[in-house]
Amino acid sequence: MSAPTIQSTKVNYLTALKDAIAEEFARDKDIVAMGEDIGLLGGAFGVTDGLQEKFGKDRVYDMPISEAAIVGVACGLCLNGKKAIVEMQFIDFISCGFDQIVNMTATYHYRTAGEVNIPMVIRGPAGAYGGGALYHSQMNEAWFAHSPGLKIVCPSNPYDAKGLMKAAIRDPNPVIFYEIKDLYRRRDIEMELPEEDYIVPLGKAKVVKEGEDITIVTYGQNVYHVLAAAENLEKEGYRAEVIDLRTIVPLDEETIIESLKKTNRLLVVNEAPKTCGVAGEVLARMTENAFQYLDAPPARITRMDTPVPWVKPLELYVLPSVEKITEAGLRICKF
Amino acid sequence: MATTAKADHQTGLNDEASKLPSAQLTKGDYEELLRQLYLARYFDVRLIKEKKRGRLRGTLYSSHNQEAILVGSLFGLQSEDWISPIHRDMPAFFLKDIRKDWNNDDRMGMTIQEVCAQVWGKATSPGRARDNWSHIGCQSKHIIHSTSMLAGTIPAAAGVVLADRLNGKNTIAMTFNGEGSTAQGVFHEAVNFAAVHKLPVVTIIENNQWAYGTPTNLEYPLEDFARRADGYGILGLIADGQDVVDVYDKVMQAVNHARSGKGPSIVECKTFRAYGHGDHDDDRAARYRPADEVEKGRERDPIAVMKKRMVEMGYMTADDAKNYAAEGKGASEVTDIDFPQQVVDYLSKGVEFAIKSPLPEAEEAAQWVFKEVE
Ligand SMILES: Cc1ncc(C[n+]2csc(CCOP(=O)(O)OP(=O)(O)O)c2C)c(N)n1
Ligand SMILES: [Mg+2]
Repeated sequence: MSAPTIQSTKVNYLTALKDAIAEEFARDKDIVAMGEDIGLLGGAFGVTDGLQEKFGKDRVYDMPISEAAIVGVACGLCLNGKKAIVEMQFIDFISCGFDQIVNMTATYHYRTAGEVNIPMVIRGPAGAYGGGALYHSQMNEAWFAHSPGLKIVCPSNPYDAKGLMKAAIRDPNPVIFYEIKDLYRRRDIEMELPEEDYIVPLGKAKVVKEGEDITIVTYGQNVYHVLAAAENLEKEGYRAEVIDLRTIVPLDEETIIESLKKTNRLLVVNEAPKTCGVAGEVLARMTENAFQYLDAPPARITRMDTPVPWVKPLELYVLPSVEKITEAGLRICKF
Repeated sequence: MATTAKADHQTGLNDEASKLPSAQLTKGDYEELLRQLYLARYFDVRLIKEKKRGRLRGTLYSSHNQEAILVGSLFGLQSEDWISPIHRDMPAFFLKDIRKDWNNDDRMGMTIQEVCAQVWGKATSPGRARDNWSHIGCQSKHIIHSTSMLAGTIPAAAGVVLADRLNGKNTIAMTFNGEGSTAQGVFHEAVNFAAVHKLPVVTIIENNQWAYGTPTNLEYPLEDFARRADGYGILGLIADGQDVVDVYDKVMQAVNHARSGKGPSIVECKTFRAYGHGDHDDDRAARYRPADEVEKGRERDPIAVMKKRMVEMGYMTADDAKNYAAEGKGASEVTDIDFPQQVVDYLSKGVEFAIKSPLPEAEEAAQWVFKEVE
């Protein structure tokens, strides 16, 4: 807390990620980065800006446009002593590397009875609300949550972004890292970050707002929708506890259960579609493991089971919103 | 390994094809080709200006300077042929089958109104603007709808002509791809399948030397991408992408090859990119691109190249060639007087329609996930 350990300027979400990667590159010479336009250009959004200049072309690769090759080559690097950070230019394009991720990479540790581990981070800009339409808006974490062997991370603020990125890079397993592109340069969430090295451990959720009347679990950009909805609930006399999952796999059930012991009410919000999504998974686990604490039927607010359409009114129609969350929160509180 | 193959490499083409298809083109055809170059250019210029004024959403991938590829490739297609354009090919949607009558709304290409409605995000777009910009198509007009996933439509291009073959029809599918997109596995998978079954798929490679911020030498190690055709056992041709007549010649050889049952082909059209990857990249592009690349490239503007040809052929006087001096200029350096009135009027009709059209209703967003089962 003393002044010298705090940077004088605030840092945005993108810079936090960029610094985390650059600092890890400096710390560990076995780290290699691969992706489309990440070297010469510095990445479509600039997360790897300056990385190739600083660490050279042997460690930062501008790859041909092949997500399968990017992931697969990175897997080979990891199989032979390197650590790989790979970028999907948009996380939507991860589908083009799907087999290499879920079959080749995710299962490696398992099928070799622990002989091999793949320390890879697959990172990329994700999320809707920005008019990116069907293929530049996805939150497809559920595809990978359903593929054992992959950790999944999604930070909502600069502090977590930096600490989780470092933890992901140091983790011995493949990690898919969802960077929320609408948060990259959002001014009102900039933070002063510690100067010293720190990590945010994977698998630990965070209570971002305390309350006693309802627990609202979410992650990513929806954290801000939920916090706004919590203010609305407060005006109606209900204090919501807001939990930012930060890591989706492994899921921090304990933090949610501790909260439910206090609030006895649960709402889960995720940006991805409803069917077989993370919100549904949280509901299922809490129904299995914390049913005794629940005083009202738990619920979820998710995207509708549709793609993300382009035009603004349509995009907002299918996505979680402050209004939808407020309404569901009130319904549960009043039950 | 790099190869030193010459730009005139023509895999599998035999001598009798030396009689060039363009020999059949009339003065009227030349005039029409030039008009279409202006139309494609004006479309791009107009959108760049509308975007700068803040009237459009989404990313604009300019086709400025690459128009000869679209115009020359589409000019010789028949109405029933299929196309699959990608992000840099917006003009292809209305250039398809436009040759005979620009104003026939029932032709096998999109109307300018439909294309503008799509760009403006209006309900009158063929896809009701559910997805953005080039992600449209029209089944009945034989235009395949692309996703963002590069090279993703080439398998479907093989599929539609396979279906036509099964139905006794002899159509072509023409796919458009940036050179960078060819690194996708699905590109190989689709071309290989088409080659095995000798399907009439003509794959146009718009080789503009860059895939976003990555130069060609990091995309593939060949001097001439068309040599890939050797590996597939198909026809590979190289065209001067700045010269609409050369594009027409090479593409028509490929089309005739396909239509006569000899199978697929790759036609590499060499060109360069006039701006950043998309308008969001215009300023950043200077960081990775040699400063004089664009200026040097503009010396061979496709409009200028065509005018020169027409003067040489006596289809236009040197004085006439000075009219409508859009060539060699960036979007901010031209105004409507640099384009034929017919072109300006045509596009204005589309823009006005788009502006007047309503937005889709928000509730539509929940519709059409599944087709209702009757
Ligand atoms: C599968 C996939 N990966 C990445 C992208 C992002 N992306 C869009 S365009 C582009 C560059 C394409 O280069 P090229 O094929 O040469 O076409 P050009 O833009 O030069 O016309 C990239 C990397 C994408 N759309 N799809
Ligand atoms: Mg290109």
